[in-house]
Amino acid sequence: MIEQILQALMYPFVFLSLYFQIFLLTSFFESSKKIKDEESQDVSEYPSVTIAVPCWNEEKTLRGTLDSLLALDYPLDMLTIIVVDDGSKDRTYSIAQEYEKKFPTIVRAITKENGGKHTAVNVALSLSTSDLFGCLDADSFVETKSLKIIVSYFVNNKNAMAVTPCIHIKSPKTIIQRVQAIEYLLGVFLRKAFGELDAIQVTPGPFSILRKEVFEKIGNYRKAHNTEDYEITLRMHKNHMKIMNSHKALVYTVGPATFKGYFYQRLRWSRGFLENSLEYKDLFFNRKYGNFGMFTLPLAFTFVFYGLYAATWALYSMITHYTTVVNRLVVTGIHFKFPTFDLFYFNTTLIAFVAMTMISMFLFMLYVANTLSDDRQEFYKNLPTYFLSTPILLLLFIMLFSRAIFDTFTHTRNDWVLQDTKEG
Amino acid sequence: MIDTKKYTFTFFVTVAIFATAFFASTFFSNKRVENIKFIQDNIAIDILASEAQFDLLKEVPCQNVDDSMLSPELNILGDKLSRTETDRGAKDEDVIYLKKYYALLQVKDYILSKKLSEKCGERKKQVFIIYFYSNLGDCLDCQKEGYVLTRLKEKYPELRVYAFDYNLDLSVVDSLKAIFKIQSALPGLVIGDKTYSGYKSIEDMENLLPDTLRVATSSLEIATTTKKGR
Repeated sequence: MIEQILQALMYPFVFLSLYFQIFLLTSFFESSKKIKDEESQDVSEYPSVTIAVPCWNEEKTLRGTLDSLLALDYPLDMLTIIVVDDGSKDRTYSIAQEYEKKFPTIVRAITKENGGKHTAVNVALSLSTSDLFGCLDADSFVETKSLKIIVSYFVNNKNAMAVTPCIHIKSPKTIIQRVQAIEYLLGVFLRKAFGELDAIQVTPGPFSILRKEVFEKIGNYRKAHNTEDYEITLRMHKNHMKIMNSHKALVYTVGPATFKGYFYQRLRWSRGFLENSLEYKDLFFNRKYGNFGMFTLPLAFTFVFYGLYAATWALYSMITHYTTVVNRLVVTGIHFKFPTFDLFYFNTTLIAFVAMTMISMFLFMLYVANTLSDDRQEFYKNLPTYFLSTPILLLLFIMLFSRAIFDTFTHTRNDWVLQDTKEG
Repeated sequence: MIDTKKYTFTFFVTVAIFATAFFASTFFSNKRVENIKFIQDNIAIDILASEAQFDLLKEVPCQNVDDSMLSPELNILGDKLSRTETDRGAKDEDVIYLKKYYALLQVKDYILSKKLSEKCGERKKQVFIIYFYSNLGDCLDCQKEGYVLTRLKEKYPELRVYAFDYNLDLSVVDSLKAIFKIQSALPGLVIGDKTYSGYKSIEDMENLLPDTLRVATSSLEIATTTKKGR
């Protein structure tokens, strides 16, 4: 009986997920002409830009990040890079100083006591006098044309207050990095579709650029449960500020290489999402905030809870299935038998049909995302890893969603964030 | 700002996909039932034909009795029925009906194979196992026993396995339970007119099966190998 009730609960989840996919695909294709037009936007003027590079023990990747910024195809007299060392214990600050000496008109190196990413970015913000302000995590790298492309959005859309880039995982090698490569590619599509709906959920750390006046109007970054990029997005939506997406502005970020690192990064994101969303609960189902209030936020919030249930159910079903297979092998031993093809044994349940539709749409979204970006990824090579990792990913989601929900409602301290920073 | 039309449109498209999936699922599920009914009808005809043939040949020597008198489709049907039961649930009316029909066909097949054995003695002696199971969750070993029997059927194609749901509300099944004194301690097995209860592994079963079965299978294997070798 309980099993039947749990199984029946799967239908609304599948319905919601399908609705979500169709809504995004419809929105995307409705705007396909506009998206095409965006690609030919000219840059008639070059506003001044400050890029903050907050770092904490980033001696391994900082050079690469700074080199990629210095190689940007953008007038160098309009570019300022502020490296803020947030109390690193390694050579981060001396590397920053090295660049400051070499490029004194562009790079500034600042060091301060450790206070968290938002404090580092705010230091850079207080020193900036530019028209535009952005941030690039010290484990991320930009493509030369990216800034110019992003600026074209600001120049051609006077009401655009922030522009997000197209993010890919840099050279995925480990299993979990390959999984993230797929997730980020899907993110390329989602961000574009949400952008067309004025409902972008987050202006991510790697190279989202904001007009400086945004901070003058709504204030600087906040600690915001260690997800300052999500909180400022909520604040921008609350103040009806337009956030756009530039699908051609490429940024590469290093994804956590281990499952543990991935787990703690996602745990921080999930916890931050829940805490901040609850603080901005007046945005939920509020028509004043458009598609963000009516669609993105409620659905994303629901998916954390429903996702926990669905992941548990899916994992339970998988375990039951594989236990049966193993039990059978234990009883009968391994015997080779030619597989027979009989349509009779095909899974033709309602959930199976809808799941097939959803997987097809998921693959289609990946394909569309790949055609959007100038860097065509050989994503199909990572797909087998992605699908084979499903049981581990489901287990990770169950652990992180339940922990994030538990910690949020019991107000548990965020000590694990340090582990995320070390791993991620 | 909010495009209500788009929300509504998406809702109807989602409903349409769900409805299509629902109809497709129902369609294929019904097709499955039809497929099973079709096989059952075929088996029923086979059995009737065999019985008639058997009556006709009553006075004829055993050499003339056809080897294919017993329907080979009975085993396939069992697997398909089991799959349908998993999909539609044990309480589904169609499933219960099909199971009853299947039980009756098995009993008829069993009687026919007994008759064959009696008439033709060792030459046409059939080896069979009658198996009682329950899928109400009160028989933890029944699933394992099912694997054992499936494997035995693969290993010894001559072996006939008749599986009955202990809880099936059918008088014929009750009669079988009474004849073989099957208690509620399941799985219950009948091998060579002897009744056993509790789980039996492949090795246990092989020890209980007559040697003739193994000899028949190994000679069949030799014959196949020789044919392939030519």
